[in-house]
Amino acid sequence: MAQSAKENHVVFLISTGALAWLVPGGGHFILGEKRRAVIIFVAIVLTFLVGVYVGSVGVIDPVHARPWYFAQMMNSPLVMILGRVGATGNYRVYGRAGEIGQIYTSIAGLLNLLCVVNAIYMAHLRSVEKTEA
Amino acid sequence: MTAFFTMILGSFTIPMRIGTDPASMLWLLPLSVSIAVVYKATKVHRVQLRSFAREAAVLFGSILIFILVAAVILYGIAWVVTEQLPGLLDKSAF
Repeated sequence: MAQSAKENHVVFLISTGALAWLVPGGGHFILGEKRRAVIIFVAIVLTFLVGVYVGSVGVIDPVHARPWYFAQMMNSPLVMILGRVGATGNYRVYGRAGEIGQIYTSIAGLLNLLCVVNAIYMAHLRSVEKTEA
Repeated sequence: MTAFFTMILGSFTIPMRIGTDPASMLWLLPLSVSIAVVYKATKVHRVQLRSFAREAAVLFGSILIFILVAAVILYGIAWVVTEQLPGLLDKSAF
């Protein structure tokens, strides 16, 4: 019984983290923190889109800008699709616009990583409180 | 409708023209707002619009002040290294 509860707890944490990674704010949404989820979603998606608009979709480049790509991937696994488009589409990236685009998209990814960790921590606290009550 | 979406998507394939002048540093501001908002969204106990906005604004202000302080310090170091140090080194040579 205790083993099963522990397994359920781990599955809950993993699914919360996965959802938070898939959609920014998704982890908080399933925890019932809807306002928090909306704020996180709007802020992260807007930052990411501004970055892609400023620098072009070519800023997501898994070949020539690999370290940046790992940070950008933290936004969502869907960024991999954009990465494929950026790598094969020969989109121009240059100058200050390219730098700003990379910084915006990467910071958005790192902010989402913070939110993923926070959602997992909140899920852990919730289930610990539930088992204690 | 399709033309509209094509135009929107097309605008994401060409980089904007941004110079390397000091004004390009203003691009820090929207990013700092985003960082302040997301960080506060993970930190506040309960999200209530007015108190949340106030806390995010305070954090944004603190980030801005620290950026300005760092800029002044770096400017001072650059001024000493490029304007003062060469003269001092010339005098101390003999």
